[in-house]
Amino acid sequence: MDDAGIRLDVDEHDTPAEVDAAFRTLRRVAVWHFVLFLAAVLGVPALSLTLGWWSGARIDGGMSPGFAMAAFGLYVFFLAVGLAAATLSSAVEARMLGGAHDDTTEAGTEDTP
Amino acid sequence: MTAAGATALVALVTALVLVAWLVRPRGTSTVDFYLAGQRVGVATNALAICGDYFSAASFLGVAAAVYVSGLDGVWYAVGFAAGFVPVLLFVAAPLRRFGEFSIPDFLGRRLGSERVRLVSVGVVQVVILSYLIPQAVGSGITWQLLVGRGLPGLDPYGTGVLLSTMFVAALVAFGGMRGTTWTQAVQFLVLLGALVWLALAAIGSGFRYPEAVSDLSATPLANPVPGPTGWELHAETDQLDPGTAATFGEPGAAYGPLAQFALILTLVMGTAGLPHVMNRYFTSPTGTAARMTTVWVLGLAGLFYALAVMLGTAARRRIADAADEHAWLAALTTDGVLRVPEHALPVLGRLYGGDIGLAVIAAGALVAVMSTIAGLLLAAAASWGHDVYERHINPRATQRQAVWAGRASTAVVALAAAGMAMVLQPDSLAPSVPSIVAAMVTWAFAIAGSALTPVFVLAIWWRGTTAAGAVAGMLTGGVTSISMFVLGMLPVGPGIGETLVTPTLVAAPLAAVVCVLVSRATRPPDDVDRQWLIMHGTAADRQAERLAHLTISSLGRGRRDRQKGD
Amino acid sequence: MRSGSVLLAGGIAVTWGVVYLVTQVIVDPPLGVGTTVVAGVVVTLVVVLGYPSALRGPRSATVLRRGPEPRRGGPRSIVAGGRAMPLRSGLTADAARRTADLLRPLLGGDAVAITDTERLLAFVGPGEDHHRAGGPVRARVTLKAIASGRSATSRSTADLGCGEPDCPLAGAVAAPLMVADRVVGALVVLRTGPEPAGRGQVEDMAGILSLHLELAEADRERELAADARLHALRAQINPHFLFNVLNTIASKSRTDPEEARALLLRLSDFFRYAVRQDGQLAEFAQEYFFVRTYLTLEQARFGDRLRVRYDIDPQVLTAHVPVLTIQPLVENAVKHGLADKVDGGTVTLRARVDPLTRTTSIRVSDDGVGMPPEVLEELDGPHLTASPDGGRRARAGGGAGRGPAAGETGDGETDDAAGGDREGGGTTRHLHTGVGLRNISQRLTTLFGGRFSLDVRSTPDEGTVVDLRVPLR
Repeated sequence: MDDAGIRLDVDEHDTPAEVDAAFRTLRRVAVWHFVLFLAAVLGVPALSLTLGWWSGARIDGGMSPGFAMAAFGLYVFFLAVGLAAATLSSAVEARMLGGAHDDTTEAGTEDTP
Repeated sequence: MTAAGATALVALVTALVLVAWLVRPRGTSTVDFYLAGQRVGVATNALAICGDYFSAASFLGVAAAVYVSGLDGVWYAVGFAAGFVPVLLFVAAPLRRFGEFSIPDFLGRRLGSERVRLVSVGVVQVVILSYLIPQAVGSGITWQLLVGRGLPGLDPYGTGVLLSTMFVAALVAFGGMRGTTWTQAVQFLVLLGALVWLALAAIGSGFRYPEAVSDLSATPLANPVPGPTGWELHAETDQLDPGTAATFGEPGAAYGPLAQFALILTLVMGTAGLPHVMNRYFTSPTGTAARMTTVWVLGLAGLFYALAVMLGTAARRRIADAADEHAWLAALTTDGVLRVPEHALPVLGRLYGGDIGLAVIAAGALVAVMSTIAGLLLAAAASWGHDVYERHINPRATQRQAVWAGRASTAVVALAAAGMAMVLQPDSLAPSVPSIVAAMVTWAFAIAGSALTPVFVLAIWWRGTTAAGAVAGMLTGGVTSISMFVLGMLPVGPGIGETLVTPTLVAAPLAAVVCVLVSRATRPPDDVDRQWLIMHGTAADRQAERLAHLTISSLGRGRRDRQKGD
Repeated sequence: MRSGSVLLAGGIAVTWGVVYLVTQVIVDPPLGVGTTVVAGVVVTLVVVLGYPSALRGPRSATVLRRGPEPRRGGPRSIVAGGRAMPLRSGLTADAARRTADLLRPLLGGDAVAITDTERLLAFVGPGEDHHRAGGPVRARVTLKAIASGRSATSRSTADLGCGEPDCPLAGAVAAPLMVADRVVGALVVLRTGPEPAGRGQVEDMAGILSLHLELAEADRERELAADARLHALRAQINPHFLFNVLNTIASKSRTDPEEARALLLRLSDFFRYAVRQDGQLAEFAQEYFFVRTYLTLEQARFGDRLRVRYDIDPQVLTAHVPVLTIQPLVENAVKHGLADKVDGGTVTLRARVDPLTRTTSIRVSDDGVGMPPEVLEELDGPHLTASPDGGRRARAGGGAGRGPAAGETGDGETDDAAGGDREGGGTTRHLHTGVGLRNISQRLTTLFGGRFSLDVRSTPDEGTVVDLRVPLR
């Protein structure tokens, strides 16, 4: 790693317009994921109220689909939604805020102002 | 409990404390986080959040709720685990970036108002108190089962409540339990270890999860209630389909149609407003790390609750068979069903591991209770000492005076919680709700989710939020949720009561609407743009990362130089 | 079919497979048919709605530094005789060799050679052991064809300039390869017997090859032109802009040294990006970085008069867009839309991706002074549509209160007469806008052929909207 390229004197700096842009995009990401999350988390009890098969059928002679979902499925789903939202948000932030002057290969040759 | 069991318990707890103390990392900072590899830092922090979050309600309460109500009890597990998804989506990163130390601090600075700070201190205190009570109840129940003996003039339950609360309060007050990240992480590992051991023991002794669910669902669900002639089994009626009997694997044993959604929503919304959990987010080095920490928490919570649900099922299946074989168990059960459902896990531990097994589970429960109580008391002390005393009562307070104010408030809060826990002894309430401990925690979630979360999320994601709007929103949410409880405690009729005690469904939207309307009518603070830069910008994060990289690479260079020198 | 649709179709197929598995196979009793269909439809809707939504987007935090090289010059697979024509990429030894292989069975000769004006590029057939590719052209018949620009025939071994006594070749037909009246080489068909190959046939084939070479040349020229335009664009970065920014920094260095430092860094970022881009396409995130760097500098100069609003979809961040295209559009909006407006205005950059039609759409709009209709008419072209805004036209026609449209035009003329100098300056600048937009449009044509659209709508005093749609890469 070429540590000569890291410049401590570069103060990181965001402008209000950039932050507003990232904020709007992140808000859209968060809201969409929340809608998906809410649909699933309320969908499971809603199905058990409306669909007899959901609580009555047996998977492999044991649990009903509803019970299996509440006992394992939803936790896996929460983790998946969380992971998706976290990676997407972080990737969006990395692309929409900050600059190109953090790369270590090029900045080393640069004159510091 | 025998002397061997007691010795085992003492040895276990001592060993835990010793291990936690010996392997603690020395000195933690942003740079350390990176030096240890960002991933390790994030994982440790996630474990610590779990240590704060998983209380007696999660450890004893979820299994108990599943034990009593089957699928309707599983909603507790789902709701507790789901609560971190909104935290991740809406709260974690901006809260960390804003960099204040508590929820009142955050709201006070974000909205530039002392009034908001004071009102949120009030709400936070109510949340803390209502969260403390079930923890105290949990410790009372554990004591009752483990020691079975009380101090002169007190029953075993009351002794447990009083001793554990006062013990932790003393530790917190005199700085013996400063809730470091590492201690909390180890405490969670103990909890998880206890659950994993119990699950392995259950499976090893022939427990088959799907078949157990299927078998238990074949017969109507019946639980003991105190009757005129002593305890007798009483079949639960299906709340969804009155007139038929409820079963283990189908919903309806405890909650009516609306109450099912109300319960889940209450738990989902509540986590984002829990003061002791939110305080943990400030130990993350960056906002991005706070986000990844929450992903880890989601994974750990999923594992934990999946195990807790499975063990609740195992307890229902196993205890019914074992009740005839063990005299000690017969004393706790009526026709093979436990009278106090919170006993499910400790009993299971004793069935599989004898006195040592019981000691392991009891140690887990005590650790869960104590770590959560410690976190809550610390949060309470901080908000009284920092937000109220230093800022409003005595602005020129010396450090010493502020510390004493914090200690005094710790003692008062702890005493209040212990007193209320004694009044709300579970024997008197048990049949009305699946698990008294889990249900009581729901109250804390309801107040947090109704009064704090909507205002919190609006303050982060809507520029137009004003101080007046926040105050109105918090008061509306708080007052609505508390009055709905009080109403729900009265005999209002079947089906309505359960909905009323999980009021977030109504109170949170109401609080949000009031907050928005009042905010519209008033002027937002002038420096919103500057606050947005801090809260949603990543400049400070990038600076911290740059610094960490620089430190690491200079260390690496130093090492290379040394190697060359050799 | 485009790949977005393939992906979606695959997704839906998998979805239904999973729904079938979950509801019918592993569960007993299976879910009823009607309910299964409803469940499948609901899940499908979620997949279809989620596909273009904010649920998708970049996942990795590391930003790709450089985009993939674009497929330059459009499709390369112009077909000759049912097979790909190697010479389409130019007269190189490798292409010549493959072409000769391809042609030998078609031409009825025993050996086929392809030369440029000086060297033998390829030789296939008997005698290739000593007629080696890379050597100078020695055969008299070939030299004759190259020199005269007409085909030539030889029936003697001596004319082939072969020093080898055992050479099996006896006769040859050589036809020149031409690009725009210039001889660039020759196609030679050789025979072991004295009877040469059909001269007409060889000439026809040489003609076809010449056509391909001509197309290859045109491709290369277009690429060069695209590069040249890009270079021109870089060189064109307005010196006034640099002076203005430096002035701003100089004045801020006294009042707010912190900000001056930040601006100086931004300025160096701006130029570094402009100079170091060496592909034709770049990740949108990088172009966005360039745009916001530019706007930050302009905002420092204009202060509160320039307001900026970005509306960006997460999915668009990793889409590849032509380099140095968005910033000129934004610069136009600032310079020609807002700079002349006293109380300033807002520039909005909106970027979206439609993964189903594989389109990236970028809209730059401002609420500035707008463009006069004559400039828009000037701009209108095959790929660049420019029109006065529909809304305004409707209002001008239907708004009785504002008087007839002719009256407005008359007012405009009197204004022109009164302040001719200022207006004239404005028009010159607007024509400048036209040049910038035409440069972009031409560059996009070389990159995407006809598969893009650049649409300019403008209303005087209400602002300009530039809509750019390019294929999603």
